Amino acid sequence: MSHSPSDFDVDAIVIGAGHAGIEAALALARLGCSTLLVTQSLDTIGRMSCNPAIGGIAKGNLVREIDALGGQMAKLIDSTMIQFRMLNASRGPAVQAPRAQADKQAYAALAKRTLESQPSLSLFQDTVTDLIVDSSGARVGGVVTERGRRITAGVVVLTTGTFMEGKLFIGDWSASGGRLGEPAAVGLGTSLRQRGFTVGRMKTGTPARGLGASLDKGRMELQLPDPHALPFSFAADRVDRPSVPCWITYTNAETHRIIRENIHRSPLYGGKIVGRGPRYCPSIEDKVVRFPDRERHQVFVEPEGLGTDEVYLNGVSSSLPEDVQDAFLRTLPGLEHLQIVRPGYAVEYDYLQPTQLFPSLMTKSIAGLFVAGQTNGTSGYEEAGAQGVMAGINAALYLQSREPLVLTRAEAYIGVMIDDLVTLGTEEPYRLFTSRAEYRLSLRHDTADIRLTPAAGRIGLQGPEALERLDRKVRGLEEVRELLRTRKVAAADVDAMAQLETHRGRSFEQALKDPRITIAELARRDPLLGAAAAEWLSLAESAVKYDGYIRRQEEQMGRFRGMEERRIPADFDWHSLAGISSEAREKLQAIRPGSVGQASRIPGVRPPDVALLMIHLKKDAH
Amino acid sequence: MSPAVHSPDDPIAALATPAASSALAVIRVSGPGSLAMLSGLTAPSRDLSGMRGHTIHRLRLRDGDEDVDDVLLAVYQAPRSYTGEEGAEIFCHGSLPVIQRLLSLLIRSGFRQAGPGEFTQRAFLNGRMDLTRAEAVNEIVRARTDRARGLALQRLAGAVEERIRSAREALVDLRASLEVMIDYPEEETGDAVDDVRLQAAVDLLSSLSRGARQGRIYQEGASVAIAGATNAGKSRLFNAMLRQDRAIVSEIHGTTRDWLEASVNLGGVPVRLYDTAGIRDSLDPLEVEGMRRTEEVIRAADVVVYLVDGTRGVSPEDERTLAGLSGPAIRVWNKADLPGLLPRPEGFLPVSAATADGIDSLEAGIVGAVLGGDPRDSSEPLVSSDRQRDLLDQALAALTRFSQARTRQVPPDLLAVDLADALEALGEMTGEVTSAEILDRMFSQFCVGK
Repeated sequence: MSHSPSDFDVDAIVIGAGHAGIEAALALARLGCSTLLVTQSLDTIGRMSCNPAIGGIAKGNLVREIDALGGQMAKLIDSTMIQFRMLNASRGPAVQAPRAQADKQAYAALAKRTLESQPSLSLFQDTVTDLIVDSSGARVGGVVTERGRRITAGVVVLTTGTFMEGKLFIGDWSASGGRLGEPAAVGLGTSLRQRGFTVGRMKTGTPARGLGASLDKGRMELQLPDPHALPFSFAADRVDRPSVPCWITYTNAETHRIIRENIHRSPLYGGKIVGRGPRYCPSIEDKVVRFPDRERHQVFVEPEGLGTDEVYLNGVSSSLPEDVQDAFLRTLPGLEHLQIVRPGYAVEYDYLQPTQLFPSLMTKSIAGLFVAGQTNGTSGYEEAGAQGVMAGINAALYLQSREPLVLTRAEAYIGVMIDDLVTLGTEEPYRLFTSRAEYRLSLRHDTADIRLTPAAGRIGLQGPEALERLDRKVRGLEEVRELLRTRKVAAADVDAMAQLETHRGRSFEQALKDPRITIAELARRDPLLGAAAAEWLSLAESAVKYDGYIRRQEEQMGRFRGMEERRIPADFDWHSLAGISSEAREKLQAIRPGSVGQASRIPGVRPPDVALLMIHLKKDAH
Repeated sequence: MSPAVHSPDDPIAALATPAASSALAVIRVSGPGSLAMLSGLTAPSRDLSGMRGHTIHRLRLRDGDEDVDDVLLAVYQAPRSYTGEEGAEIFCHGSLPVIQRLLSLLIRSGFRQAGPGEFTQRAFLNGRMDLTRAEAVNEIVRARTDRARGLALQRLAGAVEERIRSAREALVDLRASLEVMIDYPEEETGDAVDDVRLQAAVDLLSSLSRGARQGRIYQEGASVAIAGATNAGKSRLFNAMLRQDRAIVSEIHGTTRDWLEASVNLGGVPVRLYDTAGIRDSLDPLEVEGMRRTEEVIRAADVVVYLVDGTRGVSPEDERTLAGLSGPAIRVWNKADLPGLLPRPEGFLPVSAATADGIDSLEAGIVGAVLGGDPRDSSEPLVSSDRQRDLLDQALAALTRFSQARTRQVPPDLLAVDLADALEALGEMTGEVTSAEILDRMFSQFCVGK
């Protein structure tokens, strides 16, 4: 490092106080860097711009990974949830995921309070319009704000969400803005383009919000929470929060007719929006157009908080004109008298093609500049938060001249996501799915601490308390496994549980492989097992029952690691790689993969190119 | 993927035709700069690197002041060549001294002697062919019969690849429907696994796998031993099948003291045919040794053709030998042309080695026994490299586990592990593995997203 921290006003500047910015700022400050968080409005810190929920399939795993690394999101939702559900409980141990409805206002308020009380962290309301970059243009030195202030720093983390050159659309109407009622951040996108970054446009949308009192809840299906809420954070043993239900209703032929007849008034179909929207979270007009055979689409009615009667209409995101939104929503059972309090809208914004980043989330062209969240083309609070904590960690490690923390696809969903982003790039808003992870049996939400907390401990983002808790869990789990191996099925067990007859004299572990037998039943037969934590029992049960699958997946992981461990030196001369296709060379030069494994995942790099690369690396090694 | 490590781009040369005297021989060179290097050897001096690709030039190759040969030279320019590199084929006169002289000239001029399969490896590395095709080329070169060559050519056209792709397609769809269930648990996506398509994919792969066994036999051939008592007519049958007199034939019992071997093409299968010493009690040490060696040949043979002299009938010795055979055997009632023929027991094929009557059906029987069933429809492509066969079997094993696990109600996240195994194996067969396509499938076929 060429500068000592005292050369700067602060060590680090984080731009934006959304879900990515919160995690980045907290991680930097907690790692001892003096950090300034600059946001356009101190009143909108930690806002949930879209659905009032945290977690879900794959996303719930991200939240727990953030927590295992020492991040904040799990703690925020644990304290502000108003409904909890464990999804996929019947679809397998690896894909179960926690999801909670949040009290939006409470969540944002707690986020702000947490930032305010964090030592080494200050908040400031301003709009960043440009970066300060050193004379070589290759190293960041701070930011310039709207009012011409120059604030210097060793690292800058960019987390601008949908605000960078944001533009809102409802029918014919469009205006500059990052969220309905909030101005866009204008200028920064242009500055980044001038600095040579590839900046693209994306779009996303949100549905109308209604007044709860205007709904006829008797005409909708009730969706009840799980009876027992579980905490997201590994630090918490239980959650004690109010629990409220959601409702389910459906669109119908009349809804679809209204949408179809007005489709020409949609800014999406009228060609006003150039940015690409998410395929996985389509607007209702997209669903109706693309799947004309579907007779109905499900809509979830979700409360936005305890302090408001606003409800979120999940599944009918739309940017059709307001009169059309009114008309089609009122065709849904229970919504006949819906009073819309905020219309649905689409937002189009600048994003940086994430292939311009190293896996540390630092840009390749400007050292010290890190980018996280929606600015990298992702969508979702959890995806943003996860990148935020990684960008914060790596920005701090960079200031300390330490190696970055890069998680692999076999270690964490975070690793899957970041590898996808920096290797493949994205043209549509990127969301994490479990199917993006090759080794999800090993990426269960309840093992995030085992997988990641030790690394966070080494970095300094997790303290002795977390490490001791982890140690207790690992030892407890081993004790349960040992008990299962040594405890034999006795006569008294068979008397109490007839299914154990065929396992008489064998170990509990062997009996547990029988699909009819659960660990909960066995735990009732043995006081030592009965005393073990439910989480340990569940982990041990899957390990025994799915042993064959876990072993096969480990073989797959072994092959994966083999390719990842073939490192490519950072200064590798791609010109020297003779015989490679020109498309592959261009891609490899742009991505600069760190391993043969990463190289093999780059689109346009074919197996022969990888074979050549391997031959070349082998030659160099000799 | 672990290609033998050759330096990927230095100029290489090798004789492309067998190292034997013939009218013509072909020497192939490939690699950047190879045309310039060849130009230095031409008389009259030509700049070959400036020549258009796919052109033929008549010229002399010189070693110093001395002409080595008058040749035709085909010029290839990158990337439009077999290897994707610039290169040439030199058609020279096929005498061994000329060939050796030219090769040594090339090596002295800076070419490296190519390793086995190196041209094809380069073609693969340069993206001129995928793995299944690269392997097929290797087999065309090695093929010993037209039928084997036809099979390899078919694979070169990607027939196997096409079938694997279609099976893979079905599995990707299957995977997408599992993944939609997992990633959108609250959506009404329906969770039916399309059993008909799954079965169709399994059938397709099983048929390729069954064919693979036959493919190996077409590729590598089989050994067939003719056995039987002395004077049963084994050597006469051997000669009849070879359509030439190789073995000495006489009325004297025990004329053949050791086995003889010859190659013969039976219905497209390359067969190593063994004539063996007759089996009888004898004290002659030479004959005893011959019989010991016969037993070895019989044990090692894929199929045994057991001859009984139809005029003498089945002896207790014959019965003992037949009972002792472990592999497939064809029983032949020989000398079917002779007047004193005894009634033929069931299971014996009437043949006259002397008149060649019945030889056609015997040969058909041998082919059937060697292939383990009827020869497959020749339009069916065959997988015949070890690597592909292994991957195919891996995929089938994974699908079997998948089906069994489904009946045991194993949850979808675990089922996906077996599907992933199958998809990985199939993807490796064609040299492409991608998971992005599963997501594409999810979003194109299911309306999801709330």
